Amino acid sequence: MPVEIPKDKWPGSIRTVTLGATAADGGTRGLTVTVGGQTALPYMHFEAQSPNPPVVAIEIKSERPEDWSSILTEAWGEALDDPARWAARAQDAGAQVLVLALSANDTPESAVKAVKAVLGASGLPLIVLGPGQPEKDNDLLVPVAEATKGERLALGLCEDKNYRTLVAAAMANGHLVIARAPMDVNLSKQLNILITDMGLPADRILMDPTTGALGYGIEYGYSVMERLRLAALQGDSMTQLPMIVTVGFETWKAKEAKVGEGVPEAWGDWRERGLHWESLTAAALLEAGADIIVLRHPESVRRIKIAIDELMVTA
Amino acid sequence: MALSGIQIYKLLPQTNCKECGFPTCLAFAMKLAAKQVELSSCPYVSEDSQQQLAESAAPPIRLVALKAGGYEVKAGNETVLFRHDKTFYNKPGLFIQVNAADGDIAKKVAAADAYSVTYVGLEFTVDGFAILADGDLGAAVKAVRSASKRPLILIGDPAALEPGLQACQGETPLLHAADPSNWETMADLAKKYQAALVVKADTLDELADLTQKIQARGVEDMVLDPVPAASPLSQSLAAYVQLRRMALKANFRPLGYPIISFPAATGDPVRESLFAAQAIAKYGGFVVLSEFKPELLYALLVLRENIYTDPQKPIQVQPGVYEINNPTPESPVLVTTNFSITYFAVANEIEGSGLPAWLVVADAEGMSVLTAWAAGKFDAERIAKSIKEFDVASKVSRKRVVLPGHVAVLSGELEEELPDWEIKVGPREAVDIPAFYKQVLT
Amino acid sequence: MGWDIQSDVPPQPISMATHTIIFISAEAKPKSVQVPTGTLLADAARQAGVEIGQPCGGQGRCGRCAVQVTQGNVRLRSTLRLSNEALEQGYALACQTIIEGDTTVLVPEQEKIERRLTTDRVAAEVRPPVGYDYPHSQSVRRIHLSLDPPSMDDQTDDWSRLQTALRAQVGFETSEISLPLLQSLPATLRAGEWRVTAILAIHPERPTASSARIITLQPGHIDEYSPLWGIAIDIGTTTVSLWLVDLISGKVHAQVAEYNGQIARGEDVISRIMFSSKANGAEEMRTRVLETINGLLDTACKRVQIDAGEIIKATVVGNSTMIHLLLGIPAENIRLTPFITTINQPPLLPAREVGLAIAPDACVDCLPGVASYVGADITAGVLASGQNRLEEVALFLDVGTNGEIVLGSRDWLVTCACSAGPAFEGAGVRNGMRATTGAIEDVWINSETYEPVFRVIGGGKPKGICGSGLIALLAEMFVAGILDKAGSVKRDLPTRRIREGNHGGEYVIAWADETETGEDIVLSRVDVDNLMRAKAAIYAGFSVLAEQVGFILEDVHKVLIGGSFGKYINVEKAVQIGLLPDIPWERFDFLGNTAVRGAYQALLDWRERERVKQIASQMTYIELSADNTFYEAFMSAMFLPHTDLGRFPSVSAVLNKST
Repeated sequence: MPVEIPKDKWPGSIRTVTLGATAADGGTRGLTVTVGGQTALPYMHFEAQSPNPPVVAIEIKSERPEDWSSILTEAWGEALDDPARWAARAQDAGAQVLVLALSANDTPESAVKAVKAVLGASGLPLIVLGPGQPEKDNDLLVPVAEATKGERLALGLCEDKNYRTLVAAAMANGHLVIARAPMDVNLSKQLNILITDMGLPADRILMDPTTGALGYGIEYGYSVMERLRLAALQGDSMTQLPMIVTVGFETWKAKEAKVGEGVPEAWGDWRERGLHWESLTAAALLEAGADIIVLRHPESVRRIKIAIDELMVTA
Repeated sequence: MALSGIQIYKLLPQTNCKECGFPTCLAFAMKLAAKQVELSSCPYVSEDSQQQLAESAAPPIRLVALKAGGYEVKAGNETVLFRHDKTFYNKPGLFIQVNAADGDIAKKVAAADAYSVTYVGLEFTVDGFAILADGDLGAAVKAVRSASKRPLILIGDPAALEPGLQACQGETPLLHAADPSNWETMADLAKKYQAALVVKADTLDELADLTQKIQARGVEDMVLDPVPAASPLSQSLAAYVQLRRMALKANFRPLGYPIISFPAATGDPVRESLFAAQAIAKYGGFVVLSEFKPELLYALLVLRENIYTDPQKPIQVQPGVYEINNPTPESPVLVTTNFSITYFAVANEIEGSGLPAWLVVADAEGMSVLTAWAAGKFDAERIAKSIKEFDVASKVSRKRVVLPGHVAVLSGELEEELPDWEIKVGPREAVDIPAFYKQVLT
Repeated sequence: MGWDIQSDVPPQPISMATHTIIFISAEAKPKSVQVPTGTLLADAARQAGVEIGQPCGGQGRCGRCAVQVTQGNVRLRSTLRLSNEALEQGYALACQTIIEGDTTVLVPEQEKIERRLTTDRVAAEVRPPVGYDYPHSQSVRRIHLSLDPPSMDDQTDDWSRLQTALRAQVGFETSEISLPLLQSLPATLRAGEWRVTAILAIHPERPTASSARIITLQPGHIDEYSPLWGIAIDIGTTTVSLWLVDLISGKVHAQVAEYNGQIARGEDVISRIMFSSKANGAEEMRTRVLETINGLLDTACKRVQIDAGEIIKATVVGNSTMIHLLLGIPAENIRLTPFITTINQPPLLPAREVGLAIAPDACVDCLPGVASYVGADITAGVLASGQNRLEEVALFLDVGTNGEIVLGSRDWLVTCACSAGPAFEGAGVRNGMRATTGAIEDVWINSETYEPVFRVIGGGKPKGICGSGLIALLAEMFVAGILDKAGSVKRDLPTRRIREGNHGGEYVIAWADETETGEDIVLSRVDVDNLMRAKAAIYAGFSVLAEQVGFILEDVHKVLIGGSFGKYINVEKAVQIGLLPDIPWERFDFLGNTAVRGAYQALLDWRERERVKQIASQMTYIELSADNTFYEAFMSAMFLPHTDLGRFPSVSAVLNKST
C-alpha cells in the first residue's frame, strides 16, 4: 500500500553566512565558506534541498596549551608551539575553517601577530576567539579586527553583557561575530536581537548556543539547538542564523576524554574513548542542526567528515 | 489527537468532588492531558466521555517488551518528535551480537553480561544479546544462557530460528526478520513461540503492507527494520523520521512500531559508532552492536541517558567542585546552587575576571539560591555536606568558603557545621563577585 | 582590611559565663541585661526591652539593625552592609553579632516607619451592595426578648428561662451560650428587669431549625435601628486594612490602614515564617499583628465613637501565611516543598480565642484560601472583582511582594502565585522607597538629551523612587535608548547621567543638590535586574497560566488589577516594560484593595460568604515550580519588553518611531 509521507513545509529559512573574503572581495583568503540556507530540518532531503553542508573547523591556539590532554598534544606534536605551522597541519588534517583561540597572556601586538601568521600560513577562512575575559577580549580583538580589515573573519565571543565593543569593531572592519548564549533559547535569541539592534546585519552573525559535551549537559544543548532551528523555520527571524558548536573545547575538558589514569576500567580504551567522546558529541549535534563544528583531534575531524558526507547523500 | 486540559475538563463531571485525589476536575483534567494519571481514577465519568478519552489516549507507537530471566527491555510508546516537547520514555535497548558459528560464545557473552558502569550515580549494563543463526542456534542459545539471562534477539531464516526458540521457551525474544518472501512462516513462528517479530522491507510502502498482513495473521508485537543494510546515514535518518511522523502526526497504525538498527552493517567501526549515535538520538528502539567494546558502549550509554533525560525537570548542572581559571590550594572556595542559570551567572563572572577559584555546586534540586533557601534546599547542612562529600578540604591549603550574600543568614550555622573553615559572606549578585574577590579574597 | 574583625581569633573554650550588656540611646535611659556567651546582640536587646528594627527578619541582609559597639568583646558573623569606615567606628549588625564579653552598645535613633493611611483619604466612599437586606443577608440577628420574671411558683433557672423565651418568642429550638456570658447572665437579666436584647449567630438559611449561638446579651430593649457593628480586615504582608461596618445598613463608617507590625521581623512572608519558627517567634508574630489590628480598631472606634466591645462579627482575609501567623498555627510547611498549609478553610472562631479586642464571643470568620501561596485575600479579591460571575475569561492580578494571578470566568478558574520580589514596593532597589512623601512617582526622559523630568509625591525634593516611579523610569530609560533590550545601560551615550557605578552602568535621575538626602538618586544595574525579574515573574506567571489551559492571553476580556499596586501605575509604561500584556487599555480595570472589599461583601451577606467558599473550591492551583514551563516563560520575559516582540505590537511601534 502506498504510504503518504507527511512533509513539513516551513515558512522560514536559515540565513546564509559567508566566512572569509578572497582577493576579489577585499581579503586574502584562498576560498570562502558559506553555511546556512536550509529550508527544512537537518538532512530532510525528501523535503527540501540542503544547500550548504556543515563544515568542520579545527581549533588552534596562539600559544602552546598547557592543560590539553596528551591525546591531543601527541596528535599535533611540535606544531603546538607555532600557530602558523599548526594552521597548516590543521588544513592538511581536513579543516575547512580555522579557529584561532587567543590566550590571556597575549598582548594586542602578539595577538595581531599570531592572527597574521595564521592568515599567512593557510588560505582557509578564520575565526578568532578572545581568551574569554570581557575586558581582555575587547583589548585583543579590536586591534585584530582593525589589522585584518576586509578578511571577513568571525570574532568571538559576544555575550549579553559584553557585545557592544566587539560588534562595533566587526561592523567597522567588515567582519562577522559569534554570539554565544548559555544553553537557552531565549538568551540566544535575545543576544541576536541586541546585536542586530546595533546595526550589524544578521547575515554576519553566527550563533553559538553552548552545547555541553556528552555526559556534561549535551541534552540541553541538543534541545536548545533543535528548538532554535524549529523556531527559525517557523519564521522567527532572530533565530535564523547558522549555528557554530565548540565540540572540541567542550569534550576535551570532560574527564572521560582528558584523563587516562585513575578512571574506571569499564570506561575502556582511553584514546578510542576520547575520540568517541568528541565524535559522538559532534554527531549528535549535527542531527540537531550544527553548521560549523569546531573540533580538536584530527581523527575526530576525519570521522565527522564521514558522517557529514553520508548525511548529505540524497536518495 | 491529544486533547488539552480544558477539552478534557469539558468531558468530566465538573463537580470538584476530589475523589480522584485532585482538588478540582480541572486539575485532574490537566494531569490527564499530561498522561500522569489514569482516567479510571474518576468514579463518575460518563461512558460516552470514557470512550472519547480512550481514543485520544491510545499510544500511537506500540510498546514492545522483550523479556527473559526477570529482565525486560521496552521500546515504543513514544509521544513526541522532539524531546523538548515532553520527553522520550523508553530508552533504546543496546544489544551485543554473537554468532552461532563462533566457538567462544559463552566467554564473550559472560564478559559483556558482567559489564557494569556508573554514571551520575546510575548503573548501566548491556540490555541483551543478538545471536546470528549462522550455525546451530539451539546450541548457541544454550551457550548464551549459560552466561546471561538477558533478553535475546534471534537472527536468521525460519528454519534456523526454530531450534533457538525451542531453547528459550517462556521468554519473549525478538525474531529477525519477516520479509516479503518469508513473512507467513515467520509470523507463524512468532505466534507459536510468543515472540516479537522484526519486519523488514526496503520501502515504507512494503513495510506497511507486511505489518498489516502479519497483524491479520495474529502477531501484535512487531519491530521495524526499515532501511537496507549499509544505507547512508541520511537514508536511515529520513526513514526513522518518517516512521515517527507517520505514527504521531498521521496516527498511521501500520507503521506505529519501534525500530531496530544494525549500525555495524558495513563492518566499519567508525561508521558503527556514528550510526549508533544517530539511532539513539533519532528514534531507535533496539540497537544491535557488533561486538563488546567498553569505550564505545560507555559513550553510547551516556548519550542514551542524556537524550532520554526528562527535559521538563529544572535545568541543573551536576553538583561537584568546578575548577575555574586553574585554581591552586591558595584559591578561595565559592558556593552556589546547581540551578543552571545560577551556576552560569557565577561561573561566567569568575571566569571573566580571570581570578582562580574553586566553585562548589551544591545539590539544591535545581533551584536558584533564594528559592532553594526559602524551600529549605540550600541550608548550612546541605552546604557542609557538599563540601565534605566533594572533599574540598583536600584541594585547598587555606580553608575559607564564600557564601552567596543572599544567604548571609546561614553563616552562623555553617560555622558550626564546618568548625575549621573560615566562613565569608560574598555579594548578593554574581556581577559583584570580581570586585568582592579583589577586595576581600586577595 | 576590616572584613571580618575577629576572624583570626582562635575559637574560645565554651564557658557558661554571663556578661552585662548596656544599651545606650538618645531617647531613653540606659538599659542593661545579663546574657550568656554566644547570645546574639539582637536577642540581648529584646531581653533588655530595647527596640531594634529588623526588617529583613534578622538575616543580616538589610543593615537596618546597625548599632555601635563602644566597648566590649563581640564577634561579627557578617559585616555585609557595613562600610569599612563604619566597621572602624565599631558599627555592627545586631542580628549578626555574638556576645563574648561585657559590652556597651550605642543604639541609634530608630527610624520611624512613615505612615501613609492611603485608604483614609484616597478611597472613594463605599456604597452598601445593591439590595442589601439585613434580615435576609446577615448571619447575625438582634432580637428582643421579654422573659417572665421568676417567682416562688416558677423557680426555673435563668438559662432555661432564656431558652424558653428564645423558643417561644423567636422560634429557636436550641441555643448555645459561653461560660463568660453565663457568668454575667443573672445580672444582665435582672438589670433589664427581665427584658433583654440578644445578638445571635444563626444559620441564615434556616434560622430556627438550627442552633443559635448567643454572642452578646444586653439588659433592656435596644433600638432596633441602632447600628450593629462588624469589621472586615485584610491582613496584608505590608499593610493591614480594616473597615468598620454597620451590619444593619451595610454602611462603612470607617476605613483605616496601618503597616503590619510584623514588618519589623521580616519584610516578606518567607522571612516571617523563618522568624516564627524560632523560639517564641510564632507568639511574637501573633502579638505583633494583633497589636496592629487592635490599634486599628481603636482608631476606627474612636472615630465613630463606639466601644470595640460592641463589634460582634469580624471577617478576615489575608494570604495563607498571614492567617496562620494570626491564629498561631505553625506556618513552617508553607515554605517547604511540597508547600502544605495547616488549614485553608479555618472554622468560625470566637474573638476571645483569636485575640481580637471586640466582643469576646463575636464570630471571627477567616475566609477560605486555596493553597500556600493563594490565600483568602485572593478568593475574596475574585469575589470583589466579580470575575467568578463573568461569562468571558478575565485575568485578575494582585501584585504585591508576591504576585497572585487568577485566570478564568464563571466556568473555571485557575490560579498561581509567583514571587516577584519587593522591587515594585520600592524595596530591594538602592534608592527605592514606599509611595510616600518624597518619592518620585513618575518620570519622563528626553530621548535626545537623556535629561529627566519627574514628579515627586508631596511636591518637595525627592528622597527616592517608589514602585510606579520605578516602572516609569525603566520604561523611559528603555524607550529613550539608555537601556538596551537586555536592560544594560549603553555606556557610550553622550550624557554625564550615565556612568560606571559599583555594579556596572547606572543612570542618575537626580543630582545630590536636587535631593532631600543630599545624595544622587540613581538606578543601578542591580536595580534594573531586580525590576526586570519582578516584571518577568509576573508576566511569566500569567502567560504560563494561559498556556496551561490552552487560552490565548491576548483574548482576555478584562484585566482586573487589585492590590494597592494597581492604584498608581501607568498602564502605558507598564506595557512598555512588558509587565502587563499589550492589549487595549480600556480592558484594564484598577480596583484598589479587592481583598478587604471582598471581606466586606462576605461580612454583609452569607450568600457572598458561600460564594467565596465556592471560589476557593473551584480554583485550580497550578504550582509553577513543578516543571520548566515557568522558567522558560520567565527567561523569555527577561527582556524589554519581551524576547518575542510580536507580543507587544504597540511597544514595537513606539520603538520604530524613536529609531
